[in-house]
Amino acid sequence: MKESLSFDHRPDAALGDALRRALDPGDPAPFVARVLARADQVRAVSWDTVLARWSRLGVAAAALVALSAGYVVGRAGMSAPAAQPSMAETLLVHPAQADVGIVLASVIDN
Amino acid sequence: MSDPQPPHPVPRIPEQDPAAEGVLVALAVAGDRAAFGALVERYAGVARRVAWAILGNADDADDAAQDAMLSALVKLDQYDPRRPFGPWLLRIVANAATDRRRRRSVRRSEPLDVGFAAGGPRPDATAERRALGERLRQALAALSERRRAAVVLFDVEGYSHAEIAAILGIPEGTVRSEVFHGRRRLRALLGDWKEEA
Repeated sequence: MKESLSFDHRPDAALGDALRRALDPGDPAPFVARVLARADQVRAVSWDTVLARWSRLGVAAAALVALSAGYVVGRAGMSAPAAQPSMAETLLVHPAQADVGIVLASVIDN
Repeated sequence: MSDPQPPHPVPRIPEQDPAAEGVLVALAVAGDRAAFGALVERYAGVARRVAWAILGNADDADDAAQDAMLSALVKLDQYDPRRPFGPWLLRIVANAATDRRRRRSVRRSEPLDVGFAAGGPRPDATAERRALGERLRQALAALSERRRAAVVLFDVEGYSHAEIAAILGIPEGTVRSEVFHGRRRLRALLGDWKEEA
């Protein structure tokens, strides 16, 4: 072991060996086994997370599609040609055109 | 400033075979359990020692090292393969150990057995080594967390000051200072031990 206390930049092999022996954590096999067992759980959880994320995305996408479809259908309904005026409208707007044929047609439709 | 090469190469895991290690990491990212197992096995020792250096006791160190390995597994896709794997992993280990230390009121190391501390009976070399180990652990426990980690990473694991700075997230100059003061304390202790023996 070096006796000098100078500010040197080289690892001290003797001190390192003594410390390595002092800090020897023992057989790594049980540690490795524990880590791998937990890693399997982490991987399983992460797959669940991925699937859950995709599931949430799927629900959000379906909601978006439904909203879009509703909007499109609504717009289409608003821009559709006006329906035939009802008999009441015809009578109110053009009383002169009111005749028996119109009234009968209205009764038959209803 | 670059560190000169040590006169006696310190056994250092990251220098074993960086190319093979890169392959292991790539396989582990792809979900290869055996590859991840090989990485864990390769770094188990250093991870547990570094965690011990920060936490000061073996049980917490093992828990922290285990958490760090799992955290590394989750973050493996963020690892830059152009950089050495060891410092990247040990940064995670150091953070996990530091977090654990902050979260819990971590118990200090068990007090040294009086018989060992006082240089009690040492019937053989094994007992003597064990006693020295106990004494070293006690001396390490008396150092600050950062100083312990710096000394262990430098003298035990063979990392450079720059790498230790990256691992511990502190300036390189601070690493040099911590290593200097830490090893001075430990050398003094070991010197006393030799005189007692």
